[in-house]
Amino acid sequence: MSAIATKTAATAQDRYRAAFEARTQDGGPLTELRRAAFDSFAAVGFPTQRDEDWKYTNLRRLESRSFAPAEAAPVAADESGWIAGAGVRMVLVNGHAMPGLSSASPLPPGVTVAAVGQWIANDPAAIAAYIEQHAPARPSVFEHLSTAFFEDGVIVDIAADTVFDEPIYIVHQWAGSAAAMSHPRVIVRAGRNSRCTLIEHYLGSGDAESLTNTVVSLHLDAGAQVAHYRLQQESSRSFHVGTVRARLERDSRYTCHDIAFGASLARTGLTAKLEGPGAEAILRGLFVPSGSQHLDTYTLVEHVAPRTVSSEEYRGIADGRGRGVFRGKVIVSQDAQKIDSRQSSRNLLLSGTAEIDTRPELEIYADDVKCSHGATTGQLDTTSLFYLRSRGLSEQEARALLIRAFAESILTTIECTPVRNYLEQRLHERFAGDGILP
Amino acid sequence: MLKIENLHVRAGEKAILTGLNLEVNAGEVHAIMGPNGSGKSTLVQVLAGREGYEVTQGTATYNGKDLLTMAPEERAREGVFLAFQYPVEIPGVNNVYLLKAGLNAIRKHRGEPEVDAFEFLTLVREKMKLMQMDESFLNRGVNEGFSGGEKKRNEILQMAVLEPALALLDETDSGLDIDALRVVASGVNSLRRPDRAILMVTHYQRLLDYIVPDRVHVLSGGRILKSGDKSLALELEKRGYDWVKQEAAAA
Repeated sequence: MSAIATKTAATAQDRYRAAFEARTQDGGPLTELRRAAFDSFAAVGFPTQRDEDWKYTNLRRLESRSFAPAEAAPVAADESGWIAGAGVRMVLVNGHAMPGLSSASPLPPGVTVAAVGQWIANDPAAIAAYIEQHAPARPSVFEHLSTAFFEDGVIVDIAADTVFDEPIYIVHQWAGSAAAMSHPRVIVRAGRNSRCTLIEHYLGSGDAESLTNTVVSLHLDAGAQVAHYRLQQESSRSFHVGTVRARLERDSRYTCHDIAFGASLARTGLTAKLEGPGAEAILRGLFVPSGSQHLDTYTLVEHVAPRTVSSEEYRGIADGRGRGVFRGKVIVSQDAQKIDSRQSSRNLLLSGTAEIDTRPELEIYADDVKCSHGATTGQLDTTSLFYLRSRGLSEQEARALLIRAFAESILTTIECTPVRNYLEQRLHERFAGDGILP
Repeated sequence: MLKIENLHVRAGEKAILTGLNLEVNAGEVHAIMGPNGSGKSTLVQVLAGREGYEVTQGTATYNGKDLLTMAPEERAREGVFLAFQYPVEIPGVNNVYLLKAGLNAIRKHRGEPEVDAFEFLTLVREKMKLMQMDESFLNRGVNEGFSGGEKKRNEILQMAVLEPALALLDETDSGLDIDALRVVASGVNSLRRPDRAILMVTHYQRLLDYIVPDRVHVLSGGRILKSGDKSLALELEKRGYDWVKQEAAAA
């Protein structure tokens, strides 16, 4: 039994190695970095459910698939799913930056939005140095894979004291139907007292069985404010693994709205590290698995510095045989006093075969802290349903209203109007059918 | 308008209504009184279509149609309205939105066009004045954070906007102080019309001082034991229910 398992695992790593070796390598520091990362991946392979962090998510199906590194698509991508009027647009098709589809207007001074691919082409040693310098203490297997394979992505650089309120809208669009993989990197550097809004939109194509393995790193310098929206709408047969790591310096504030609608199997790992006193992380999320979707969210908030604040609210709505997982871990370091940390996970099951696992985890090593957490999982309230129907609303309308009401506490916190309207519309399409709802 | 014959209802293993007969004509106001657990609330909930009850025998027809096979929303669209004993709080569903959606569902069912925004707001403002409700209630979640009295007023506001033909009031007086009771009662009274029937369930005679019924029924043990005019309510207030039970047992 174990011999077979070992053989399968080796095969997966061999396949990735073949893809890795087939790429042109220049032998410089970036290649060295990639090779080291690949070896780290190959040494352990994909996590199994014995790994505590992956207890609820089985990756064997992902492991069994072969993906070729995605090619830049010469075809025009389907733009219909993009959010209109969402700001300065940067489009990646199959993980490759497409300047022709991106906004052409010049950005104000202090704001830089550039393609990672350009950086690799111009100065591979510099990007290797940057990644090495900013590498987390313990990168995940998927971060190693990303370092081994990443080809493109977006760098956002906001200079100190620059306030840029127009959202930077990054579209990650798949095109074509090949079983391809893409490892886009997004690097955000928010200078001292700067402010910006970032929208990341992951969109699939048809029923392609693709793999998106994205790594987003954000560094918020003192007093910086970043609002980050993450909308995952990959196609129904695809795999999506997202890693987000935010480092927060003194008095900075990071707000993330993490919305998962798509993919067959998706996992988002979000880490906010509060490194400076007065830093604040606000995490809001909504995951909506239906059919046989499996949507897993793992958040980690590290209160490293004293007087740091985190508030986290996630909601899950599962229908059909959909499966949702939310795990929220909070670590308060020994010297991190005067901490305020709140976490709430509320979940709604719409069918008898849907499932949501939710688990808060607190590790507190300081004594002067305020930490609260709460988790509930339930069904639509039958009395509320009856109440609405007794006023003339059909059962479907009543259900849609109650589902929307449940999601409302997340949606109302979305300050970016085009994003909020877009999400209201998507929720409406999923649950309202042909009702009379606006 | 409403005709109930030999109605038997159970909830799980428990028989609640055991052969209830009742006829309510258009233009009439009927009060159903009775001790706790006699089946009063069950009756109006079954008539409004609440799930969780099983009708084992008997019929309930509304304007000649079989009420018991209709979905709750069909009953509402046909003109049946239940004012809840415990109105539900639904945060995230806007009060005014529910009013409008309900009204439009009913209008659509009647083949009427949807109400336009201006016309609707004029109507709602007028009815809110009647119920002495502040306009700020409109944009709050349905009953969200309302006091007991505000919830009951909101029920009658909905009724005033939806204009049902058959209104079922489930202990609308419970939890109301005397001022709120007056407001609610005047709201109900303003809805009395020759083409509308009202069936109200109550514990206390007090409500009937304000909403004077044409008929009073005593419900006990799942059946109507005695019916009379408004003087029966006064007698019940004085003598309690036991004499009615004894009288029925003797008969």
